[in-house]
Amino acid sequence: MDDELKRRLLKTTRLHLAMEGEETLQRLREFSERPAAMEYFYTLFHQLANGAGPAAMAGERKIIATMCMQVPQELILAVGAHPLRLCSGANAYDQVGAEFMPAKSCPVIRATLGMLRVNQSLWGDTMAGIVVPTTCDQKKKACEELGDMGYPVYSLEMPAGKESDLARYYWQESVKQFAVDLEKMVGRRLTAAGLRQAIAKVGRAAALFRQLHGLRGNRPPIILGSDLFLVYNAYFFDDIERWSRAVEVLVAELEQRRQNGVRVTNRRAPRLLFTGSPPIFPNFKVPVLVEQSGGIIVVDESCSSTRLLSDSVAYDQASLNDMVPAVADRYLKPCTCPCLTPNQDRLRKLVAMADEFAVDGVVYQAFAGCLPYELERRQVNETLSERGIPMLYVETDYSPEDSGQLSTRVEAFIESIKARKRKQARQQS
Amino acid sequence: MNSLKDLRRVVNHASLGRFRFYVQLFSFVLLIYGGYLAINVGNQLPTFACLYSDLHGGACYLLGFQHQMATPWSQLFGGRGLAILIGLATFVAFFVVFNKAWCGFICPLGTLQDWLSSLRRKLNIRAAGYSEPVFQRLSKIKYVLLALLILIPMAIGNSFFGLPKLGHDWGVPFCMICPGRTILPLFTGDFSQLAIDFSSLAKLTLTALGLAITGLLIIGSLFKPRFFCLFCPMSALHYIFSRTGLLRLTKNGAKCTRCGNCFRACDMGIRAIADDLESKNIVKDDCMMCGKCIEVCPEDGCLQAKVLSLPVYESTAEGFFKRMNRKNNG
Repeated sequence: MDDELKRRLLKTTRLHLAMEGEETLQRLREFSERPAAMEYFYTLFHQLANGAGPAAMAGERKIIATMCMQVPQELILAVGAHPLRLCSGANAYDQVGAEFMPAKSCPVIRATLGMLRVNQSLWGDTMAGIVVPTTCDQKKKACEELGDMGYPVYSLEMPAGKESDLARYYWQESVKQFAVDLEKMVGRRLTAAGLRQAIAKVGRAAALFRQLHGLRGNRPPIILGSDLFLVYNAYFFDDIERWSRAVEVLVAELEQRRQNGVRVTNRRAPRLLFTGSPPIFPNFKVPVLVEQSGGIIVVDESCSSTRLLSDSVAYDQASLNDMVPAVADRYLKPCTCPCLTPNQDRLRKLVAMADEFAVDGVVYQAFAGCLPYELERRQVNETLSERGIPMLYVETDYSPEDSGQLSTRVEAFIESIKARKRKQARQQS
Repeated sequence: MNSLKDLRRVVNHASLGRFRFYVQLFSFVLLIYGGYLAINVGNQLPTFACLYSDLHGGACYLLGFQHQMATPWSQLFGGRGLAILIGLATFVAFFVVFNKAWCGFICPLGTLQDWLSSLRRKLNIRAAGYSEPVFQRLSKIKYVLLALLILIPMAIGNSFFGLPKLGHDWGVPFCMICPGRTILPLFTGDFSQLAIDFSSLAKLTLTALGLAITGLLIIGSLFKPRFFCLFCPMSALHYIFSRTGLLRLTKNGAKCTRCGNCFRACDMGIRAIADDLESKNIVKDDCMMCGKCIEVCPEDGCLQAKVLSLPVYESTAEGFFKRMNRKNNG
């Protein structure tokens, strides 16, 4: 009977997931002037929404599943495993998670745990472990939940701050220990040559990311922010080399667009910075709403997008004793996750982005239950208002229920920016 | 205009490290063997080119400076005082051109330490470093040495507080303990500086200390890059004039993500390069302006080497990835 119930739950969840995924993709397709190179990503997510398992991405390799973005990818690639970020954005999985998680918990955790609960059979032997860094409280507790479900969980200890020498040392030692344990999990030695190659692979992806990042700021805009969220989301699970090739094609097409003056929206569309809780496919509710209402997300700051590849490893000596700490540093020192204290670097980054991309306003998404982002709202708001940059704070979750109310607020925000710009233009002339 | 832009791009993509290697090699040969070609660029150089090495193509200011400091005060306001000022002016004139890059690009003793670091890399030994409090404490030693190399000679020519004057065996005390004096002549086949001088207590103390420091330098710089430079009184003397330098290293704190790549690369272990977001001029007292920080910075225009206000080499994302790519595949 229990099995029967589980099977039915799995069936309906899959059905909901497919509907949700298709709906998001459909909305993205409705925008005009989509780059042809985006088709790779649409197909990828179409397959994912329709039940393509993680094994399809990993090929013959073992999977090291991760949460958050502080798990060093370079190490996982260096031992020949496939890194796969689990964090889910599916309302269907959130519904499953809600059955056993507190109502006030964060939808990212609820959906991720829901997905792992309902899909337990999907993973089989390919998954060598789930690595969860000790970031926020909810991720920490997720370790225990997953352990109880029977998953091989590895909790990667991370300091609560990054300023002190002590924090840096603690994290470096923690990552070194992880490297040793990873060898056991995957059953392959970590070598200097392997790690150097892995750093090169991630470095190539980061170089392409930078090009893409530069192009998206173009005036007029040549690609939608929502499309880019999809591109960055694909980095969660796609083979890194395949992802890099697809992005290379996209970069080339955008370069062409820039020269030919093709644009995705009108010149006066408010240029926005998106920050806060991560938009993860299929939950693109807020970014899509923003761009449907006539805004354009020209830059973003979240752990499911630009934060993934903004920083790169630089080592001095191609030996493990220099490369492993160098890799560790990349994941802690420039990190702007709100689980860290203090987190001034996030404010500085937002200001720098606002300047560089000449933004007219900021959209701040906070998932109900994601306390760190809710708590940083005040600091961000104050920093931005000192500079006269308006901010829209949106508290939301994965359910579609608040869409109506959200669209009213988003539209009003964008209209107010437009009015402001018109006023400024009149004053200038 | 466009060609200037292209030139800048090419320069920014280049590996400064390789350029530095050749400049160091050239300077080393010039300063140690210049005498063969009858080259001598003067004895007021702001770098450790050693007068004890017979064929030197230029020599360190500190030797003459210590001699001059032994001048009795009564003579300071005559012609000898003027000579001291001219010497200092010559030193500053040399210094101003390259600023602290004298240390990173020209100093033969620095070059030698860099070669020992290359050996360390080949032997696959991990580089050692200091924790921040230790670094802060050690980094003050060079000022103590600078004060001593002025005060000890002064006590030879003058009487402090009615105490008897020091003997002439205490003359040029820093040279006596400087590893440049013992090591650099070796390259011209002169081993005589390795001797311990038993002729007086002063000479015995200083030459013995000199040999001990030489040993420390060789072993130390095999593990800690630029081991000696943290204690170098020349670097302390440089820092007094560093703000007048034509060559500058600047940082734009707004572009810094504090990723720490620069700090990791820094042979001197200067934390401020990563953590200081306020200073525009980022040349700290221990900086040797080697430019390794610029090479590993992935943020466009965050770190810049400038001549006056003209950027000659700056950090760019494109350059960073080009260099890392060469490193990853080379």
